[in-house]
Amino acid sequence: MGKSTSMDTSLKNVYITYGALVTPLGNTVDKNFSALKEGKSGIKKYTNSGFTNENWPLAKIEQISENRFDTLLRTSFIELNQKVSIATLTSSDTLVIVSTTKANIDVFPNDTFESGVTILKNELGIVNEPIIVSNACISGVVAINLAADYIRADKFKDVIVIGIDVVSDFVIHGFQSLYAISEEAAKPFDKERTGITLGEGVAIVILSSEKRNSAFHVKYLNGSSSNDANHISGPSRTGEGLVRSIQKTLERSHINKDQIDFISAHGTGTIYNDEMESIAFDRLELNTKSFNSLKGYFGHTLGAAGVIETIVCLLSMEHNLVFKSLGYTTLGTSKSLNLATDTSQTQVNTVLKTASGFGGGNASLILIKD
Amino acid sequence: MSELKEKLKAQIIEQLNLENLTPADIKNDMPLFGEELGLDSIDALEFIVLLEQNYGLKITNPSEGKDIFFSVDSLAAFIEKNIV
Amino acid sequence: MKVVATCSLFPEEIVLNGKKIESIPSNEVDWKKWVYSSLNIEYPKFHKMDSLAKLAFLGISVLEKEIDFSTYKDEEVGLIFANKYSSYYSDNKHFINYTQKNMVSPSDFVYTLPNILTGEIAIFKKWYGDNVFFILKKFDIEFFIEQAEFMFSKSIKACLCGWIESNENSEQAYLFLIENKEGIVLKDEILEELIIDKIN
Repeated sequence: MGKSTSMDTSLKNVYITYGALVTPLGNTVDKNFSALKEGKSGIKKYTNSGFTNENWPLAKIEQISENRFDTLLRTSFIELNQKVSIATLTSSDTLVIVSTTKANIDVFPNDTFESGVTILKNELGIVNEPIIVSNACISGVVAINLAADYIRADKFKDVIVIGIDVVSDFVIHGFQSLYAISEEAAKPFDKERTGITLGEGVAIVILSSEKRNSAFHVKYLNGSSSNDANHISGPSRTGEGLVRSIQKTLERSHINKDQIDFISAHGTGTIYNDEMESIAFDRLELNTKSFNSLKGYFGHTLGAAGVIETIVCLLSMEHNLVFKSLGYTTLGTSKSLNLATDTSQTQVNTVLKTASGFGGGNASLILIKD
Repeated sequence: MSELKEKLKAQIIEQLNLENLTPADIKNDMPLFGEELGLDSIDALEFIVLLEQNYGLKITNPSEGKDIFFSVDSLAAFIEKNIV
Repeated sequence: MKVVATCSLFPEEIVLNGKKIESIPSNEVDWKKWVYSSLNIEYPKFHKMDSLAKLAFLGISVLEKEIDFSTYKDEEVGLIFANKYSSYYSDNKHFINYTQKNMVSPSDFVYTLPNILTGEIAIFKKWYGDNVFFILKKFDIEFFIEQAEFMFSKSIKACLCGWIESNENSEQAYLFLIENKEGIVLKDEILEELIIDKIN
């Protein structure tokens, strides 16, 4: 049987690049970047989208009408194939990790995970069985953290992380019963916020032990997850899980909090989540850092969120550009936060990305410019 | 009214999966969201479902619920007042 | 690494470290409730849990007959859980609610994510450690060991691992605790006891 191994995983460099991004703002990373710069939102109201015919705001990709999950996944391959060679995609040294909450929920009660895996193997040529992380809204960050673990353990050279979820009645009806959906587009951290806006998308990042061919490189440092140990759907009033995750991530990254330039928060737009985050960041004395939530642009994309939002972090670092926290005008949390109110040029070298989710999960990761 | 209250207690126990309780454990004036029953925010939302499913009464805003769901007494009073 | 304890729960029996410790009466309508009563624990939240969470809770409660979890600090235990059918049991409840009963229950909906069971464990034990849920084609001990190795390379000292399934055909739980200590990964008796075929 196996022996106990000790890995010095803190030393090996792990590089992270974006591979694909399909959201209501566009079907490539570049198109999304342009839309973000212009302050465009992917959210609009859809009549009769609610359980009792409410007109909920949603961030939907309208061009996709049938077999939505499968089509969305396939759409991401167009850009991915331009960024990653066939040799890499079909290599036995390549792993795919999928981050999703409900996968192809439209086929329920049939197996909702099957079609995606089949498409990855048959159409992308992936040879190793994809790993599926399903950990509510922190899945994306957890999956990226796991990708780095695999590389540092010398098990794979390249790990492709795919975050994907679609808007569905299943999820809309559920969140509606929690009175968690906002009648207007979500306003993370704002005084007038009243809930989330559901969104969808697919985002792909590639983690590698080697630098890819480009002028610009970002290193993934480290990450962690921590449970609140408090409630299965409501966040901890003290932000305990998020505090602990950020502390662990800072320690594991050998980074002092002063070195963080920018924080990409979770910021869903609910009273409780955003308040919890303000408390957590205040406890850690991180509340003066430049800060935003992206859910005013993309909505809450659940299993895709961690990966979509990490790609935007990479864009911020590449272009030294902080995107304004769309939907935010006036602070509505008990602790102050330094929300970005304008999209502006500023040095972005070291970024902390956080996520929180149902099940009391919290996760975080740190990226640094090479 | 007392028949309604007894019925309500049984419905509360069933809807909220309070299997360790009997109707006798729930006093009419006991704060439902106090220490004794250990109910949380999801349970509060289940009360809204209970009212709609069993009595056809719709509450559109959870914050309205605070006063209505305070106790079996207040819940019964609300139903008596609003039921057609 | 060392596997320090294992347990499995099926509607017929509970097995702890390879030995059957309880036979569940075959006419028992709610076998999980029966196990809860037989364990003599006082945890009213149990009754609100969905099937997956109940199985996970019962599993860790059985393991506590062998393990003193208080020897670990609150950040030292990692949770690594997986199954094939995700939250099928609750997914189906929620689905039937809105397609057939014209209603939506918030308490049914919140369980439509498989990782909620790790949240319930964390709440029960007040654990703040790393936790993750995977969807796998089948139970694979090597996979769990690999994940535990990753966690042990950081600040985690023990991993509570579990395969918890609840779908239209079966309900089962298999949990084991791995410690980051010198020792063989698995004894042969425990391997047999894994009854992989039965789980799959």
